[in-house]
Amino acid sequence: MSGDDAGARVAQAMQEQLGAALHRVAREPSDTVRLVIDRAAVRPATLALRDEFDARFLITVGSDRRELGGGFGVEHIFSLDGDHLYVMLDCAVPENDARIDSITPLLPGASWAERELRDAIGVVPEGHPDPRRLMLADDWPDGVFPLRRDVPYDLQPPPATGLRPPFADAPGGATVLAMGPFFPVLEEPAYFRLFVEGETIVGCDYRGFYNHRGIEKLGDSRLTYNEVPYLAERICGICGFIHSTCYCQAVEKAIGLEVPRRARFIRTLMLELERVHSHLLWLGIAGHILGFDTVLMQTWRIREPVMWLAEEISGNRKTYGMNTVGGLRRDLRAELVPKILEVLAVVERESLAVRDAIVGDTTLHARTRGVGVLTREWARSICVVGPTARGSGLAIDARVDHPYAAYDEVVPRIAVQGDGDTWARLLVRVEELLESIRLVREAARAMPTGPILATLPEQIPDGRTGVTLVEAPRGEAVHYVMTGGDNRPYRWRVRAPTYPNLQAVPAMIERQTIADVPIVLGSIDPCFSCTERLESVDVRSGARRVWTRRELERVTRSVAGKGGAR
Amino acid sequence: MSAGSIVAVASVNLAVALLLSPLLEGVMRKLKAALHSRKGPPVIQPYLDLAKLLGKEDLRSAPGRLYALTPALTLGAVAALALLVPMGGPPPLAGAGDIIVLLYVATASAVLLVLTALAGRGAYGAVGSSREIMVLLSVEPVLAVALVVGAVKAKTLALDGILAWQVGHGPTISMAVAGVAFFLALQAQVGKLPFDVAEADQEIMGGPLIEQGGPRLALFRWALWTKQLVLALLLVELFAPWPRSGVLAIDLALALVKALVVLVLVAVVDTVNPRLKVEQTMGYFMRVAFSSLAALAFAVIGM
Repeated sequence: MSGDDAGARVAQAMQEQLGAALHRVAREPSDTVRLVIDRAAVRPATLALRDEFDARFLITVGSDRRELGGGFGVEHIFSLDGDHLYVMLDCAVPENDARIDSITPLLPGASWAERELRDAIGVVPEGHPDPRRLMLADDWPDGVFPLRRDVPYDLQPPPATGLRPPFADAPGGATVLAMGPFFPVLEEPAYFRLFVEGETIVGCDYRGFYNHRGIEKLGDSRLTYNEVPYLAERICGICGFIHSTCYCQAVEKAIGLEVPRRARFIRTLMLELERVHSHLLWLGIAGHILGFDTVLMQTWRIREPVMWLAEEISGNRKTYGMNTVGGLRRDLRAELVPKILEVLAVVERESLAVRDAIVGDTTLHARTRGVGVLTREWARSICVVGPTARGSGLAIDARVDHPYAAYDEVVPRIAVQGDGDTWARLLVRVEELLESIRLVREAARAMPTGPILATLPEQIPDGRTGVTLVEAPRGEAVHYVMTGGDNRPYRWRVRAPTYPNLQAVPAMIERQTIADVPIVLGSIDPCFSCTERLESVDVRSGARRVWTRRELERVTRSVAGKGGAR
Repeated sequence: MSAGSIVAVASVNLAVALLLSPLLEGVMRKLKAALHSRKGPPVIQPYLDLAKLLGKEDLRSAPGRLYALTPALTLGAVAALALLVPMGGPPPLAGAGDIIVLLYVATASAVLLVLTALAGRGAYGAVGSSREIMVLLSVEPVLAVALVVGAVKAKTLALDGILAWQVGHGPTISMAVAGVAFFLALQAQVGKLPFDVAEADQEIMGGPLIEQGGPRLALFRWALWTKQLVLALLLVELFAPWPRSGVLAIDLALALVKALVVLVLVAVVDTVNPRLKVEQTMGYFMRVAFSSLAALAFAVIGM
């Protein structure tokens, strides 16, 4: 890996740029460069990373380090994708002057991260263009910062009144069309106030985070290292295994724990299986949004055997509960491997049929081509991830840029499209669906034998940090763990893929029509629940009488199990 | 026709239109489910839907007697349409109006729905209403041209005259082209994909219907289903009335079978298409309208 060279180059360049403002450079773990800098130097440092190293902003971690004797900590985390390197700008902020220069004017993609920093830790990003709250509830009192360590996890402050965050005003001549807070096709609460002239969108305002559940707080204050994976898995109802893997990897990386090769292969297999079902699910929902329910019904029928496969492997359709720090709790039974290959052969054949039907559909072209265009430049500055980035010509993929699990041996091919429209994102995901099927197959064939769990040290050392990415179907998830002394993380930070992608939506729907908004929004596959870190369930049941589990299984499987359109 | 036979034929038309339309809707749903690889609801589900909705509380989002009555008026307008359309026999109210009256009556139900939605003053209803009107404006010329082709051929604006001419002369190129145009317009008239822009559940949550519930929703739905059947019957009776036995029961059964075929086609088109946008819909019917002028040209030169 060229990581070492790039790391040294970054340290060298920063030394030249910042001089005495660069206090210290640390390389722990080896793929991460921690630059401890003076907070006044945060803008020049960001600028240098952006312009000289083409660094991609990931997330900001705000932490309360007062009990460690350091006021508040603000860490801006960047990825140097081509160099397989993470760079952290670590700034100390004194308690009595909790301010830092905002980097949002330099990097629009940092906007939410800095608003969240202000909400949760109480460090004010000076010069941030949007002074409104992001994640705090409308009736949460001012001056109570939930992620400060002296705020108990179960604090219930008396509701404040009159703190409604101001909504942006509609430009002159435009009317407001409310899409949300409960809009059926989005399935989760999110409030887009569309400013429309006739059917044309001239602007929009977003208010979300209606369901923030404080999952990070629980991880820092209530759970132990090996309990967090189960909570992490419940961040998202679709990509749960991705979050639990990402958390486990962050801890493993922080303490330098080597995960057995078999465990890494099984993780890869499960991750790819999760991608397969998620891509099919998304394709169905995209069809549904366009009124094309045939696509929904067929893709979900094709997807169903993948869920049964997951159930046979892990005991659950979703939320497998297999990950633990150091490896896995549950092995992959040998007799399941041929079955996996068999099921995937059917899924692949049917997926190809769906692809062929979709690719030639002219009405679908009419609805998606040139709709919701995200230019390459804007995609880069908002720092979007996953298919949203790859649809705009950015060839980034955490599986290749920061290989984890067994992706160093089972190498994915990155699907890239250049047009940046909804159609491009659709093509990327269809291509990735087929690629994921190939990867599951490869991982299954190359599956090594051996142990699946590394022994944890008696005492997990404190004060270590680990940042990892895991490529979820809709984009990469970021987990950051700083180890603590009481058998739990001192700080656990999660950034779900929708977090950056959603910030690109206002630009994507500008000058489009009302009819385009649902599919443009759908094209980034928004998961508001992950963004807000709460549990979501992807099961919709219309059953009105009480069904036993067996009955339900019989009913659902007798229909879907027939395979193929009738 | 004598007064007695008018009443008899009118009763048949009304009964067929109002009582059979939910059944045909049920068949269409079942077909759609089959294409989805679903089992689908029972064929009689639309009747159950109506029974359930009619039994609910009547909630209204705007005051006024007219607003209270619009669902019933809408169903009434569709029932009036049923009396102008031939179903096996001659149209019972042929004496009361020609194809121009028919066009107006066919439009009335949509206009009533839009008025109802605008009275509710909701944003989605307003967007849906404007879309409904735009679709109506682009579809109406197609319907008009298709009907005028018949009028040119039969040299009369009266529906029973056109029907008699068709039965007597057999298939012609112009009427076939006009029939195809009419079929395309039918798809939009009854709000099926790819032209269901006015309701567009995923975009504007039912558009004009968003604020309707209970008995009001039941009547609007019933009116829509009835309109669907009546227009399908008009299509098959006007553009393909052969063979004609002269016996009302046989001709009616034949017409219903043909209408069923048309509605099956409508359902298939509905299933295999995503939704167009309103401007794309309008552009499409603009092109259809121009193509249907060809039918008119054929008719004028006697083909």
